[in-house]
Amino acid sequence: MAKTIMIVDDSASLRQVVSIALKSSGYDVIEGVDGKDALSKLTGQKVHLIISDVNMPNMDGITFVQELKKKPEYKFTPVIMLTTESGEDKKSQGQAAGVKAWVVKPFKPDQMITAVSKLILP
Amino acid sequence: MGMEEALQTFFVESHELLQEMEDRLLAIQGLVVDEDRIEAINAIFRAAHTIKGSAGLFGLDGIVEFTHVLESVLDKVRSSQLVMDADMISLFLKCKDHVSLLVGLEESGGVLQGSDQATGQALVAQLSAYLQAPQTNTVHEEKTHPAITYPHLDPLALESAGGGVVDNDNWHISIEFGPDVLRNGMDPLSIFRYLGTMGTIVQVGTFFDRLPGLSEMDPETCYMSYLINFSSEADKTTIESAFEFVQEDCKINILPPHSRIADFVSVIKGLPQHDLRIGEMLVQCGTLTERELAAVLAYQAAQESGQNSTEAGTKQPLGEMVVQAGFVQPAVVEAALQKQSQQKKTKARQQQSIRVDAEKLDMLINLIGELVIAGAGVNIVAQRSGRADMLEAASTLSRLVEEVRDGALNLRMVQIGETFNRFQRVVHDVAKDLGKEIELLISGGDTELDKTVVEKIGDPLTHLVRNSIDHGIETADIRAARGKPAQGKVHLNAYHDSGSIVIEVQDDGGGLNRDKILAKALEKGLVESVHEMSDSDVFQLIFEAGFSTADTVSNISGRGVGMDVVRRNIEALRGNIEIQSKYTVGTTIRIRLPLTLAIIDGFLVRVGQSHYVIPLDMVIECVDLPEENLNSSKGSNYFSLRGEVLPYMRLRDTFEIDGESGRRESVVIVKYGNTRAGLVVDTLLGEFQTVIKPLGKLFERIKGIGGSTILGTGEVALILDIPNLVQQVVRKDHHESSRLQVRH
Repeated sequence: MAKTIMIVDDSASLRQVVSIALKSSGYDVIEGVDGKDALSKLTGQKVHLIISDVNMPNMDGITFVQELKKKPEYKFTPVIMLTTESGEDKKSQGQAAGVKAWVVKPFKPDQMITAVSKLILP
Repeated sequence: MGMEEALQTFFVESHELLQEMEDRLLAIQGLVVDEDRIEAINAIFRAAHTIKGSAGLFGLDGIVEFTHVLESVLDKVRSSQLVMDADMISLFLKCKDHVSLLVGLEESGGVLQGSDQATGQALVAQLSAYLQAPQTNTVHEEKTHPAITYPHLDPLALESAGGGVVDNDNWHISIEFGPDVLRNGMDPLSIFRYLGTMGTIVQVGTFFDRLPGLSEMDPETCYMSYLINFSSEADKTTIESAFEFVQEDCKINILPPHSRIADFVSVIKGLPQHDLRIGEMLVQCGTLTERELAAVLAYQAAQESGQNSTEAGTKQPLGEMVVQAGFVQPAVVEAALQKQSQQKKTKARQQQSIRVDAEKLDMLINLIGELVIAGAGVNIVAQRSGRADMLEAASTLSRLVEEVRDGALNLRMVQIGETFNRFQRVVHDVAKDLGKEIELLISGGDTELDKTVVEKIGDPLTHLVRNSIDHGIETADIRAARGKPAQGKVHLNAYHDSGSIVIEVQDDGGGLNRDKILAKALEKGLVESVHEMSDSDVFQLIFEAGFSTADTVSNISGRGVGMDVVRRNIEALRGNIEIQSKYTVGTTIRIRLPLTLAIIDGFLVRVGQSHYVIPLDMVIECVDLPEENLNSSKGSNYFSLRGEVLPYMRLRDTFEIDGESGRRESVVIVKYGNTRAGLVVDTLLGEFQTVIKPLGKLFERIKGIGGSTILGTGEVALILDIPNLVQQVVRKDHHESSRLQVRH
């Protein structure tokens, strides 16, 4: 069975492109519009990896990960966080929350696939 | 759902975000509550951020570039480093309009107009001004370098632990996972799987020595360490990238395979003679990654400032550290150190030298040329006067002039060594491309030649070396069948030989195939019959334009352009090129070049009323023409020099000089390369310092004349182009002998 990846970003076009790339590499994809939306969709089903933006309305990426780690079923789920070059302070906050994988925005679809495959292969 | 659809989503989304940006910008001045303001600023920032991120995914670089600057300024506003005032708001509004325009253009497939482009640039300039402004609230955060990780496990332990036979071609990776990796969502197994996509994991050793007793063990903590023998063609940086997301938590050491040491060493040897540090060299050759270098340097700095108390103040050499840390094999560091000391020597030499404008040097040489001529004039006057004191003064003067001349010419001489050393890299790269194993040997690097020659010899030499590797050295299986070692040898050599510089490119490859060359030459119509062609004549055919015997055209050579260009380049330097080759054994290509280009020692002769100069280096001896040859027929002929048959030519005939030859004629025996010939002249006048003056354009193509010079008396003498004359003599000889054969 294909592995499931959740992509959380407020940009619909970014979600679409990342979804297309991931699906064509053999992953299943579910989407979240922001941290709050993503948390509401994580209801105990198996998710192998979460890709999340930092800057989102309603609930930002850092808060989202902090909340995520409180849920026992997602405690060990790897997270790739999308950041900007200037986001050093965000990065240290994210590190503290337990995010180790960072991908700098803007990225090309195949860069994302490479990063993902370092954590899970399809 | 396809990319096209996603792109449409991007356009719609961008317009929405830009509209929101505008609304928020217009409303922001009316907001009094801090929280509302912050929310508005965040929304504006997010709009720019999101557009940039998505545009990047679609490869819309123009939009990314512009929004990147906008985002950076907004980020400073968001972090309160800048205050958003009315000016800034109107600037942001203009930026919003510009982004709208850019997105619209992508949507409609339009092109950015010049005026709009200028607007964009002006906006970027205004935005950048904010970025450069002195920042008040900036907290300077020291960038933390990852700590150096001395290997907890000896990278070679798996091999020595008797884990079966492990060959040399494996990378040795030791990784000690940090306690938090599992909690951070990083699964060691997934890293191994990813590693498996770029090579083969030959062997894994698992180490549990950090595992505590059962009562203390936390199942969420990682206690594992691994040693991996990994077989892969990937480079070190690529392999290291597999650990990208865990390297901050883990101790990782990646030791390249032993079989790569030779590669690294040859790259290091071929590095240009710049002022490189050991670390930079190791990174450039690919044995050390940037991250490892940063770690070692940070550790070194810490050591220096005395943080590591045991060795306070003492700085451990970097080379030693990278070996100890298990990043690099000692042999590679050794090569880098050698290269560095070589660089230091070169630098020391450079420091003792003065750089002089080449034009000034040329002017000096020219003046010395005039001085030589004037000196010769003085000599003649002194001789005519017959006064002993005058003669002595003149002879002292000419001795000094000679020394000054040699000294001045020496100024232009440089060693060919550096040019040769560049080929380490060429050989390494070309050999790698072709999958051949090649060793480059260099000798005679201290041979000096004229700077102009050195500059112009690089290209032809590169072509010859590439040819040797591509066509000369056979593939490994053919070499094995011929009983040769798998590793091919290319040898670059330089030496002085009778007034010339000889540069050799020698290989132990397949050699030239005479039959194949002849077949090709016939096919291309370069020769009409193949009878009586000597090997060296046949080999010269490969220098004809449009000639190539390569069965397949490779990237490196074999397009049939090149060898003729090589010959032209060499001939332009007044040199020539010859080939010695034995099929299946190897080929030697020998380039012969004149020592200098400006002043030579000449031998002055006279034919009729005309003076000629023969370069002294090429004169072997002078003899009287035997009586039986005195009135023999015109053109080329033979005479016996102590039993040896020697072809000769009469300069009187060659240059069509009027008048009868005298009762006695002399022969000057000259040698060029391996060929000897005689030149018949009226009178021998002896040695003469000759300043070469180039011939005018009109006379450039005259065969047999290489230049002119002015005698002390003011008369003009022509300098003979001996290589050309020798060829003429030999060709005539060849021509006549073939005519004789026809008659038989």
